[in-house]
Amino acid sequence: MNPAISARLTAVTTDTLKRLAFIFASPAESGPAVEESPSETVRVDFSGAFTGGLELSLSVPVLAELAANMLGADEGERLSADDQRDALKELVNVVCGNLLPALAGRAQEFNIGTPYPATADEPGWETPAAVSHLVLENGVCRLRMRMDGQLPEPPAGEPLKRTEQG
Amino acid sequence: MAINILIVDDSAVMRSMVQKAMQLSGLAIGEIHQASNGQEGLAALEAHWVDLVIADINMPVMNGEEMIANMHTKPDLKAIPTIVISTEGSRTRIDRLQSKGVRFIHKPFSPETIRDTLKDVLGSEVFHEPSH
Repeated sequence: MNPAISARLTAVTTDTLKRLAFIFASPAESGPAVEESPSETVRVDFSGAFTGGLELSLSVPVLAELAANMLGADEGERLSADDQRDALKELVNVVCGNLLPALAGRAQEFNIGTPYPATADEPGWETPAAVSHLVLENGVCRLRMRMDGQLPEPPAGEPLKRTEQG
Repeated sequence: MAINILIVDDSAVMRSMVQKAMQLSGLAIGEIHQASNGQEGLAALEAHWVDLVIADINMPVMNGEEMIANMHTKPDLKAIPTIVISTEGSRTRIDRLQSKGVRFIHKPFSPETIRDTLKDVLGSEVFHEPSH
């Protein structure tokens, strides 16, 4: 596992959660594991300067909050399970889209696939390139990144903030 | 004048977020059409009068860049103002889109970014009232 890439994964995810869904997260060095609570898992595959995938597992109690905040739902409004799953898929999509240029630089082009549901204990992800564990107010979040082939060196001093506006 | 809008994104949640941000912007909105990929987007453009296209890039079946390239082969679609809202981070791809006159907004976006970009693209006269 690459600590530098894991650190970038953590930074991009906490920034995305905050700006996309107003959810605040902090790194969990030895906090509660996602396996210890019911969670939903989604994955997205990518190809380009390097290929791989990103997996995101989120505690079930946070799903409703994620969807409600993204959609600006009224208090007490109950969103469907489909909306909640779609919000989770969009979250992993946005994290992936922001992470890849932070790792490979902005000159590289990537194609990001369609996010899909998965199970957290599926084989093939036992030795990820990067892992991030986050603690949220109402649950936990775990990200794992898989890379096929050589790991890129993170560009020195590359900002992790959004790369383009308006 | 009310603006008819086509929103093309494979995420229903993101389409709703974009729609809500546009409604908050004060834009005089007519009809809103939605499509979940570029191919559906092109079909919607053939079926409806559309004044503004909002599109993602990474989508199944046909991505946003392919859809925009297709639009540019058709004189009646080429001139429709288009805004791409995407996680895209590649300067090369963004430059390629901007060279076609496409505006770019990065995800995650703020409602203010949507409002300001809409005003730049469409002009203030199609907004109900000054927004703050």
